Amino acid sequence: MKKYLCLICILPVFAGNAQTISDGLMMPAKNLCTGVLYTHDRWTNYWEGTLKRDNGNIGTLTTQSAMWVAAYGITKRLNALAALPYVWTHASQGTLAGQQGIQDLTLALKFNLLNSKAEHHEFKAFVVGGFSTPLSNYTPDFLPLSIGTGTTNFSGRITLNYAFLKNFYINFSGAYTWRSNIEIDRQAYYTNGQLYLTHEVWMPNVFDYFGSLGFHKGPLQTELNYSQQVTLGGDDIRRHDMPFPSNRMNFSKAGLLVMYYLPWPKYLAFRCAAHYTVSGRNVGQSTAITTGLLYTIIFKDKQSQL
Amino acid sequence: MKPLYSLFLTFGLVVLIPACEKEIRQEEQFHAFVPANIDPSAGNWATVHLTAPNQIAVPPPAPVNSDSYQAELEAIKDAQQKLTAQQHEIIRFWSGTGVLRWNQIMRELVAQFNLPPAPLPDGTYPVPDPENPFSDPRFPFANPPYAARAYSYVSTAMYDALIATWHYKFLYNRPAPYEVDDGIKAFVPQTDLPSYPSEEAVMSGVATELLKALFPAAVEKITRWAADQRNAALWSGKATPSDISAGLALGKAVAAIFMIRARADGMSAAAGNKAQWEALKLNATSRGDVAWVSLDIPPRPPMLPFFGNVLPWKMTHDDIVALRPPPPPLADSEEMKAELNEVKQFLKNSTRERLRIVHFWADGAGTYTPPGHWNDIAAEYIAEAQFSEVRSARAFALLNMALHNAAVACWETKYFYFNPRPSQLDPSVKTLTGIPNFPSYTSGHSTFSGAAATILSYLFPAHQSKFNDMAKEASMSRLYGGIHYRKDCEVGLDHGKQIGNFLLDNFARTDGAD
Repeated sequence: MKKYLCLICILPVFAGNAQTISDGLMMPAKNLCTGVLYTHDRWTNYWEGTLKRDNGNIGTLTTQSAMWVAAYGITKRLNALAALPYVWTHASQGTLAGQQGIQDLTLALKFNLLNSKAEHHEFKAFVVGGFSTPLSNYTPDFLPLSIGTGTTNFSGRITLNYAFLKNFYINFSGAYTWRSNIEIDRQAYYTNGQLYLTHEVWMPNVFDYFGSLGFHKGPLQTELNYSQQVTLGGDDIRRHDMPFPSNRMNFSKAGLLVMYYLPWPKYLAFRCAAHYTVSGRNVGQSTAITTGLLYTIIFKDKQSQL
Repeated sequence: MKPLYSLFLTFGLVVLIPACEKEIRQEEQFHAFVPANIDPSAGNWATVHLTAPNQIAVPPPAPVNSDSYQAELEAIKDAQQKLTAQQHEIIRFWSGTGVLRWNQIMRELVAQFNLPPAPLPDGTYPVPDPENPFSDPRFPFANPPYAARAYSYVSTAMYDALIATWHYKFLYNRPAPYEVDDGIKAFVPQTDLPSYPSEEAVMSGVATELLKALFPAAVEKITRWAADQRNAALWSGKATPSDISAGLALGKAVAAIFMIRARADGMSAAAGNKAQWEALKLNATSRGDVAWVSLDIPPRPPMLPFFGNVLPWKMTHDDIVALRPPPPPLADSEEMKAELNEVKQFLKNSTRERLRIVHFWADGAGTYTPPGHWNDIAAEYIAEAQFSEVRSARAFALLNMALHNAAVACWETKYFYFNPRPSQLDPSVKTLTGIPNFPSYTSGHSTFSGAAATILSYLFPAHQSKFNDMAKEASMSRLYGGIHYRKDCEVGLDHGKQIGNFLLDNFARTDGAD
């Protein structure tokens, strides 16, 4: 049954749709899973610091992305993951122009540290090292229309997965992400209660965690999940100001996921996920839907055929 | 690949990288220096608003051999023996000249308070209340005209106060404590400048009085900065308590004279009322043009529509009116259609470099405004020139008088014509920066930049072409961003240069400082 597994990674730094870089699944050796996911994310209300509000000059902010993703089994215990999105933003009201472009390339290695199997239980532990960096010179300083925050990130993640009652699992994952400083186009900005006279912006690091309860049988995987991002520093958006890339952007999201390997063609999976922002700080209260197709290619290798 | 190796590789990277230094320096680096010229004759330079350098009387100081003065020296020695690292840091902070520091502080205050009020649930906007500055919305909304005027009052008052200071310094010639007593260390570079009254205390007095009136909600930090500056003068061996008290009194007295001007300069009537706003609309439609409407949602009252009546520096309201540019093309004219089409072409064919230019010069809400940006640029050249305090103050005073006059002249023009922005004529025009809440013609950025480049070219003629290039870029950034027509930018830039030259011809070139 392992041939059904296809893992997708997204670093949860900007869009916040953390998924499967943090899950408890591995690609078998010499298997490549690749595809494109489309995400539609929109919000009308947002948190200005802790104050929830709307803004007539933004209306509804829609962010769409088309993301190429890939996961490859280097060995059965080591996977390489990659993702690259193209992002569009659009504000339904006001005069501000939407932005679009190639966003950040994410690369990660996922290692299956521990496997402990009993008759009806299985416990697994994983570590993931991730890296992401912008592949285009977009401006991060035009939020909420910017397509990203422009940081280069390194992250370390630990994931624990427990399978029980044959087809159920619970999964917990936590990561610390170091973010580089960024350079913006202007030479002065005000944040943290003072004027900074430099192009450089100090960017706080980020901690996130992710928990899920799922069901996985044959071609079907489905789960309910909850994720949280905590930005370790940064200022709140000031009263009626625009957001700034180094703001303390926190959120909690509840989501669900369905992934299904179609009966035909073989190895093609349909994936659909939805997330709703339950609470937040300096972010939009977004509702996001992700959908896409993933295809698994098995490179012939008798040694690792399962 | 062996899994364990790749594991170590990955996590080695993850563990190592966070150790990288991310801290950044927040302030401009102003260093202590000995000025090329201490400008002993600055007491004779023309003042901006004081009637004479000795308009405020400063009594003669006690002689250096008096008991009271000797006791003051002992107090300095005592303080110097106990200086902490934090006190040395305060000395360092203020030693790169007080004029530059206060300019930097003003930019911070403007950026802090340059936020428009948020709308109320009923779609109206509350008005910031100077009597209740800490509430939401906070007072002031330090928008570009407010900021231009604020920068100009503090800069001119500081300049006049320093001319008076120089007058008394060289009248009384009391040497600095570090020159009188070998037991007193100099923690700043020594000069031959007499110490009575203390220029640091004068600046602290001017800045406190004016900034407290302009930014009342920041009273706490303004007071702390001012006290730090006076303490730094004492701790560094530069001034005695009597130098400082005389300076503080002089600074406050000069500020009070400028406050009288500020209360009567027309600012209190600059917001106008609903009936007056309707009259502006009628003015535009009776000329056959489309009247400006606010593009904020919900629509916001126009920003300071009668700022054009505020008193300019070294010119009259009639001079302002005489320099007003001719009318913009009417909304339905072929010329305006071509102008609008050009805006759309720039937006359609936007490049990353033009977006950089738009954002570099945007200076919108939450920033130190375009006048602040030109102060930021000027600060670099003034610091590099290693001027005396009084000559640095002159440079900022000239710059900020011109920027204030540019604000008055541009606002007078904008609200006289009251014409629409590109996005009003064609809602499909989506902009690369926020649309300011006032009419289009002429561009404020262009007018500010033309005026500033003219003053800076006069002060630093070797860099004239650089200043003009920057002004041109700032001006065109508004076209690239889709918020102005080319005509707004070009006419505004030229208008600003005329405003700058007016100040040079009618004040700067004949003030005795050259």
